[in-house]
Amino acid sequence: MNTLKWVNKMVETTTLPAPNLPKFPLARYLKNQPDAVEDRVVLHAPQAIAYAAGSSEVQRFTPTNSLDAWLLRSPQGATTVDIPAHFVSGDDPIVLTGPKNAGGLLYVHVGKGAKVTLQEKWASGGHVLGIWLMLVVEADADVNWLSYDSFTADTVLVNRTATLAANAKLNWTLAGFSHNSGLNRVDVRLLGHNAEVTVNVGVLASGNQHVNYTTSVTNEGQHTVGHINQRGVITGNAHLMFNGIGHIIKGARGSDAQQENRVLMLSQRAEGDANPILLIDENDVTAGHAASVTRVNADQLYYLMSRGLSATLAKRLVIRGFLEGGLAEIDDVRLKKELFATIDRTLVAEDA
Amino acid sequence: MHTLEIKDLHVKIKAEPEHPEILTGVNLKLATGEIHAIMGPNGTGKSTLAETIMGNPAYEVTQGDILIDGESILGMAVDERARAGLFLGMQYPQEIAGVTNAEFIRAAINARRPEDDQIRISDFLKQLDKTMATLEMPESMADRYLNQGFSGGEKKRNEILQLMMIHPHFGLLDEIDSGLDIDALRIVAKGVNLMRGPEFGSMIITHYQRLLDYIIPDVVHVMKGGRIIESGGPDLAKKLEKTGYEHLKVGEQNG
Ligand SMILES: Nc1ncnc2c1ncn2[C@@H]1O[C@H](COP(=O)(O)OP(=O)(O)OP(=O)(O)O)[C@@H](O)[C@H]1O
Ligand SMILES: [Mg+2]
Repeated sequence: MNTLKWVNKMVETTTLPAPNLPKFPLARYLKNQPDAVEDRVVLHAPQAIAYAAGSSEVQRFTPTNSLDAWLLRSPQGATTVDIPAHFVSGDDPIVLTGPKNAGGLLYVHVGKGAKVTLQEKWASGGHVLGIWLMLVVEADADVNWLSYDSFTADTVLVNRTATLAANAKLNWTLAGFSHNSGLNRVDVRLLGHNAEVTVNVGVLASGNQHVNYTTSVTNEGQHTVGHINQRGVITGNAHLMFNGIGHIIKGARGSDAQQENRVLMLSQRAEGDANPILLIDENDVTAGHAASVTRVNADQLYYLMSRGLSATLAKRLVIRGFLEGGLAEIDDVRLKKELFATIDRTLVAEDA
Repeated sequence: MHTLEIKDLHVKIKAEPEHPEILTGVNLKLATGEIHAIMGPNGTGKSTLAETIMGNPAYEVTQGDILIDGESILGMAVDERARAGLFLGMQYPQEIAGVTNAEFIRAAINARRPEDDQIRISDFLKQLDKTMATLEMPESMADRYLNQGFSGGEKKRNEILQLMMIHPHFGLLDEIDSGLDIDALRIVAKGVNLMRGPEFGSMIITHYQRLLDYIIPDVVHVMKGGRIIESGGPDLAKKLEKTGYEHLKVGEQNG
């Protein structure tokens, strides 16, 4: 299966091919109309960076599948950010903040050899939101990207796509602390040789959320490295599904595809799935996966309680530790504290 | 003075009800101010004894009692027992990411204090720095995740750090010397000796006389076949070092 055929097939059938979103009723979601919006993503950059917003920016988004087409169906605010070649970001990250009550389109281009830290934050409310992030990383660039989702909308479909040119590096963390149901798709294509991506996902699902995180990395260039690491904690009636897809295409010799998908269920009614999928069309590669769906680790609880901590507190700390497996790369101390506080609050509210 | 009393304790593994009892009638009385050593062959039930006292849910008491200051603690959950004064330095400490060593120790101290009288952070940090210096632990270990990636010896040292910060009445130390190099052994022993006093009693499980050269026990017990078959002074440990356990028989008083 090569990429071109794959794209053709999608245009034909206007549904995503099965391996791409296993066990997710995308068609049902796509029957909803996305909220129409004019608001745009706000940029906060410590240094001067090219930023453009307006309807003309929409043309950068070319739909290749039914989800893309849906995202463009209603008028959406579009923003483009251009990080110049060899740009080096300072201590403060560049922050992109989603509009208060809207989704939208966000195109970020990172020029050749740039070294940059970016945060993308969404806390939007609304009925049905669509978000499309398109990240293009040029050769030799090094990108640290944090996506922090705390949507309050009912339904959100997020499509985050990235392409990496030769020797580019992307260290991506996705913190999912939202209240919505829907889809979070991350799709990274390693086009150039030696390109490397790590996608870390840490999700807290609670209440009646029904969410799917499908993270796929396609190794297309030679000697490319793609690692997926997803951790999710589920409380209440929530249902969380992790799909991890590692695809090494024919010719991508010397490449590596690894993934780990782990969910921890805290309540009887919580439901979790972890589906690792490896599609390997080349022999000279390394690949591996691990998956688990578990409940709280009793030995760890016992250890903490043997120091006098109550069962509730011990449980909260163990859960933190589990999620930390997906959030370890976040070195923004304030943000980390905020996330941990959210975990504690959610667990108290759900009495988990 | 406080007392920890084990009376005719019989214990089974919950998951293996068909398996015969691991502990077959342990009797022991430990008072604060005393240090007792427990020695004995592998698989004889030493860890089982320590874990059962702590309240590990994997073990079931089928007969007998465990009392602190004359009150049975069998009905208490693990955390209640800890707050009642027990501390178990474990043979295999758990690793827990997401919570730093310092955060954890502070939470353990605060769990023993009323809501409106939690330890001040500055006081806590002062104590922590001092204790870590005593144990010759690098400061960076305070901010690392609890036992995460610690070496075997570092984990053991970290157990003693917790012991010294928490100040329990009874420290049950299960093979605190295993995996320690000679310097670390001396440092860990120094920590335990600093705890010695009228408010602290300890039950030290070990296979090696060497530890008892540094921490001189008041009483040495030998366990075999799930019960204590002989008790004596520090000399008993020295004697066992030479003779081993083979000749000691279960079911009759030796010595
Ligand atoms: N959780 C458990 N599940 C199954 N068997 C157990 C469990 N805990 C203890 N046992 C068994 O009980 C017996 C006593 O074990 P214990 O760990 O108490 O011995 P020990 O005296 O501490 O030995 P060592 O000196 O090797 O540490 C052993 O046969 C052991 O296999
Ligand atoms: Mg043992």
